[in-house]
Amino acid sequence: MDQPEFQIEIRPDGQVKVLVKGVSGQQCMSYADLLADIIGKETSRERTAEYYEQDAAVRIQAHQKRK
Amino acid sequence: MSAVCVLTPLVIGSWPVVSAAVAGALASMGFSVATRTGEPIIRTRNRIEETIDNSEVLEEHMSRGEMVTAEKGDVRVEVGRDERGTCKVCVSGEGYTDGQLRKVAREISARIVQQYTYHKVVSELKSRRFTVAGEQVAADGTIKLHIRRVGR
Repeated sequence: MDQPEFQIEIRPDGQVKVLVKGVSGQQCMSYADLLADIIGKETSRERTAEYYEQDAAVRIQAHQKRK
Repeated sequence: MSAVCVLTPLVIGSWPVVSAAVAGALASMGFSVATRTGEPIIRTRNRIEETIDNSEVLEEHMSRGEMVTAEKGDVRVEVGRDERGTCKVCVSGEGYTDGQLRKVAREISARIVQQYTYHKVVSELKSRRFTVAGEQVAADGTIKLHIRRVGR
């Protein structure tokens, strides 16, 4: 079950860093888009190592099902 | 799965929303705050004016010349809207150099952006069934929020 969670840091100089976690790849990007819409201009976006690890696990499962 | 974004806030809102963030920011910095309407009082030579980047104060619900004023010791602050709609911070203080006043103005501007962003994030996410599970202010003034979805 997806449980979206956000860790948001609002720095005193105004910059904001957001970590989106707990949701699958496409949804994760949708939540990142939502936060960008709420807050303002997006300077950068990175998928974390966790993102790729879990994405790879999904691909392996899908590959095994196809066999 | 997770992703990290870095964002630059936009401060765009009606005067009641922006002025609430202004008052909160100034109060958190130890200023005594009031609101008034009319011509700016700050007319001394020791006066610095800064505009807040990426800001727009909408004219609706705002009287002409309306501003938030604040004082702390010898330093006086006026925050309002300039002719182009940008949020403007004026700081004066007898006996202060321009550099000192500009530093104060920049600190106030940054704190306003931080307060505005905090309130916008929390109110928008609460309206989308999220809740603040944790909140803390770090030693450097960074506000850290942990936000979760409520139920399903």
